[in-house]
Amino acid sequence: MADNSKQFSADDFDLLNQNDRSKLDDEKIAAPSLTFLQDSWRRLRKNKAAMIALVLLVILFVLSFGSGLLPLSPYNYQYSNYTNLPPKIPGIDINGFNGTIMQGGVRVNAYVQNHVPSNVYFLLGTDGLGRDLFARILYGTRISLTIAVVASFFDLAFGVVYGIISGWIGGRTDTIMQRIIEILLSIPNLVVMILFLVVLKPGLLPIILAIALTSWINMARLVRAETLELKEQEFVLAARTLGESSFKIAFKHLLPNLSSIIIINLMFTIPGAIFFEAFLAWIGIGVPSPAASLGTLISDGQKNFQFLPYQMWYPALVLVIIMLAFNILGDGLRDAFDPRSRR
Amino acid sequence: MKWNSFAKLGGVAAFAALVLAGCGSSNSFNGGSSKTLNWSISTELPTMDISKSTDLYSGQTINATGEGLLRYTGNSKVGPGVATSYKVSNGGKTWTFNLRKSQWSNGTPVTANDFVYSWQRTVTPKTASQYAYIFANIQNAAQISAGKMAPSKLGVKASGNNKLVVNLVKPQSYFKYMVAMSTFFPMNKAQVTKEGSKYGTNDASLLSNGPYVLKNWNSTKDSWYLSKNPKYWNAKNVKLSKINFTVIKDPSTALNSYNGNKIDYTTLNGVQVKQYKNKPGFENHAEASTFYMVMNQKKDPIFKSADARKAISLAIDKHHLVNTVLADGSLFPKGFVASQMITKNGTDFADAASVPEAVSYNMKQAKALWAKAEKATGQKSFNFNYVADDTTTSKNISQYVQNQLEQLPGVKVNNQNLPFANRLNRQTKGQFDITVAGWIADYPDPSDFLDLMTSKNSYNYGHWSNAQYDALVKKSESTDANNEAARWSDMVQAEKVLMKDQGVVPLYQQSLATLTRSNVKGVLFIPTSPEIDWTSAYMK
Amino acid sequence: MVKYLAKRIFYIILTLFIVATVTFFLMKIMPGTPFANQQKLPPAQQAQLAAQYGLNKPVWEQYLLYLVGLLHGNFGVSYQFSNQPVSYLIGSRIWVSIQLGAEAMVVGVLLGLIIGAIGAIRAGSWVDTSATIVSILGVSIPSFVLAVLLQVYIGLDTRILPIAGWGGFEYTILPMLALAAQPLAETARFMRTEMVDVLNSDYIELAKAKGLSKYGVIYHHALRNSLIPIVTIVGPLAVNIMTGSMVVENIFSIPGIGDQFVKSIMTNDYPTIMGLTIVYCLMLCVVLLITDILYGIIDPRIRITDSK
Repeated sequence: MADNSKQFSADDFDLLNQNDRSKLDDEKIAAPSLTFLQDSWRRLRKNKAAMIALVLLVILFVLSFGSGLLPLSPYNYQYSNYTNLPPKIPGIDINGFNGTIMQGGVRVNAYVQNHVPSNVYFLLGTDGLGRDLFARILYGTRISLTIAVVASFFDLAFGVVYGIISGWIGGRTDTIMQRIIEILLSIPNLVVMILFLVVLKPGLLPIILAIALTSWINMARLVRAETLELKEQEFVLAARTLGESSFKIAFKHLLPNLSSIIIINLMFTIPGAIFFEAFLAWIGIGVPSPAASLGTLISDGQKNFQFLPYQMWYPALVLVIIMLAFNILGDGLRDAFDPRSRR
Repeated sequence: MKWNSFAKLGGVAAFAALVLAGCGSSNSFNGGSSKTLNWSISTELPTMDISKSTDLYSGQTINATGEGLLRYTGNSKVGPGVATSYKVSNGGKTWTFNLRKSQWSNGTPVTANDFVYSWQRTVTPKTASQYAYIFANIQNAAQISAGKMAPSKLGVKASGNNKLVVNLVKPQSYFKYMVAMSTFFPMNKAQVTKEGSKYGTNDASLLSNGPYVLKNWNSTKDSWYLSKNPKYWNAKNVKLSKINFTVIKDPSTALNSYNGNKIDYTTLNGVQVKQYKNKPGFENHAEASTFYMVMNQKKDPIFKSADARKAISLAIDKHHLVNTVLADGSLFPKGFVASQMITKNGTDFADAASVPEAVSYNMKQAKALWAKAEKATGQKSFNFNYVADDTTTSKNISQYVQNQLEQLPGVKVNNQNLPFANRLNRQTKGQFDITVAGWIADYPDPSDFLDLMTSKNSYNYGHWSNAQYDALVKKSESTDANNEAARWSDMVQAEKVLMKDQGVVPLYQQSLATLTRSNVKGVLFIPTSPEIDWTSAYMK
Repeated sequence: MVKYLAKRIFYIILTLFIVATVTFFLMKIMPGTPFANQQKLPPAQQAQLAAQYGLNKPVWEQYLLYLVGLLHGNFGVSYQFSNQPVSYLIGSRIWVSIQLGAEAMVVGVLLGLIIGAIGAIRAGSWVDTSATIVSILGVSIPSFVLAVLLQVYIGLDTRILPIAGWGGFEYTILPMLALAAQPLAETARFMRTEMVDVLNSDYIELAKAKGLSKYGVIYHHALRNSLIPIVTIVGPLAVNIMTGSMVVENIFSIPGIGDQFVKSIMTNDYPTIMGLTIVYCLMLCVVLLITDILYGIIDPRIRITDSK
């Protein structure tokens, strides 16, 4: 019970002059007023891992979408005499990067075997038709990212809205909307995919449509479930009591609270879409040749994996990097957006 | 306290890991036993009903459990089966078979009536057989399968128990090969009637008159075995007591299982062939199967020009295609009719009818010819839809062909690799500019191929038409049908006409690349269905 | 509750009916015939066969006939496996897929929950980071790659476990691991996220303040309240995995239904596609119903039967 008593002098009760008054303002403790997005961006910038992931993704986007500008052979150019060459990086003599490969149990120099001139080399090797794998992986990344972006768009634009409406309104609307989801989930999407192949020209479009048709459903269900939980909570009740419109409640109060679920699910939609395309590639109806996606590259590589392992590992590695980057960025975004983790 | 919670959570994880790790100890190797052959097969057997079987593998198994009038003994060679001898009379239109006394696996005798019953059953519309068309040359078969005549009117009669008389519509010198096909095998009427709709869906519903009996099988199972049939007339020459079958659909899994000593035989695909072609146990068997490109003359007038068709052929390096793009053992296509299928006086049909310039590669000449054809048509740019299957092999070919054809002036190629039913649908409806078709011969006679390209044939997807060709094929089937030499020469001429006019562009001949353990001997490979015969197989 | 259940069962029947109808008509638009030998069948014979199978009737008539069959519990006869009833085909294969799928779900979800919970409890630490990376790897590697790696590096190289095939329990382990990666990853990620949120909420602070042990807090409050999103995703995921994965079944030569489903679609085996779709739809609807009921049990604040 320390008594911090202080003796006051008469000076202490003088009026402040103009100068001192402005000093007082300087001492005022208040953060600059930030909007929700500005605040989130500030938080995101503080997260080093997330920023590295973001930079990595930007680089991948730029490299893959700008691959046409790089001094590479086109992704579909066939060096018909240089098929199935392993990776070779000049100056590095480590197995796996020096153009050698196991063939029938013996390590051979495939470049010598195929009479490749010494100034010709392929960083990541070539495929069965003699195409530069590096160029193909960049191109495939572009296609896969496109698929991922489109799927995420449907997730956000359709799944989130559908889920909030279904959960928020509830009752009969919810019942009907959930039955629609059950029906869409039950119709085999391979049948739908093949129908798209018949009606449309084989290409990226039928694949994207088939993905769009179902990719948003999980998001809608998750958002609905969370909305069901959130709408019974006190802050929603408070907002309602204060006379907020449903629309405003949904966007100002629910959405920020849903953001972590939305972001996490988005992180599954992206591989989900890329893998669905890979599955289609595996059964033979992925993006049409000579185009490639990471899915087609990995599934082609998987078939020869025991003999030409590099044809599977490199595209798989790129896929893993993309996934890691998306996920770490996702975590960062979630922390930045979620009002609950702001404490 | 904190550690306690971790210990519990961790305990569950450790337990799960233990459960996972602990179960691996009891595995069994069944590879090595001496009298049992372990075979791998890439698909289930959809049916063992002789009338309903359409696929290679059920045909193979029917050939192992049954026996027809004759039996394949090698490339385009047939030997005695249930029939000990046969006689052709009436200008090649009547075939009389003399049958030996033999038994079904339940002890009842195999009679001529079993053949009559079997053939009638297959042709009857109600049976809904997908192979009924193959009987078309037997008298009245066409009318019966169209539902316009009673099945009993079919031109096959039993004369007593041991003589079968077949009447044909027109002479058919290769009928001897057809009766060795599984579709022409006998069926036991009592058994089929007794089993009703269950017939052919499980092993208990079947009777065998061939070297083996099928066991532990129904049509959805993925493993079964063949065991030696003691009632087979030639049982003393069947040396294996048991052949185990395992369905392995993935080629890498099959190879891994072979290397893991689980199976004694596997087929190899592209890259696997490259790795194993110099290893012991590797064999490459030619199949009577040609894959060829068809150009749609109805849709694209430019393909009416022989120059344009030749340009397409010259632009594709078939040697490169076979050796580098496919590299799976496939053979260079000598022509439209598959090679190593049939010979006459030691000369392969494919060599006799060879037109080298129709399968050679010369890009310069191709460009010149295409430019010439373009000039004649007046069209400058072309956007071709190239329709093919969606298998890995087929996709690789598409990409190579696309790359080659786009070197021709003004040509753009769109690859459309589609699922089988889809691809076929586009071909029959003519929804393609260029397409790849594959044909696997049912019987080793050039006519099986040559008929396809006659003007009116429904498989002539590109509508190529050549009067001289039609006349030659017709002649081989009518006036020269009984004159072996003249018929041969007609067919050789026809093939030459087809190739010189480049009615089709042969791409490659399919082959079966296999890996078999060195102690497995005597398995017979033939280029047409059933491809594999285990009758005289044995293990050292 | 009884009224709610009765209503939901009625909806399930309605959903089944709609799905059967939509799938039936979609299938009929698919090109080609169900005849395996269609490449060699002359057109006249093909028409003859179509008539034999009733495929030349108007589509609506075929549809009515199919519905009548369904009401008698008759799924029809497969085209691929001649004369084999679809019900037998499904019955003889689906249990394999269900067994494998159930094993994968149990292992995947259990490990996922543990990994997720550990990550959340130690949020921000290296334990958390490695748990995150494990779960990300689980969704970054396509199942056909994982399956082949397991087969080659464990099955072929060590020979501890069978390379492929279907026999005793040891045959299920490698394919189960290949299948478990996805549920593991998804559960772990959702678990961690939700639990971090829950652990930060006021009632947990209160529980801690009341002097509950950390374990008690986690077990009684945090775990349960983190389950909502997990229950939501696990349902359909379980149905998907238990109805078979074509990829894993193919690579490990497992006689399940997944491979058959893809094949029946590719070969236009109409009765099999229909039968499998209906079975799948039924399983899915039941699982979704269970999920909705579980919401209320896990979090009593959620009132599903409420119609506001």
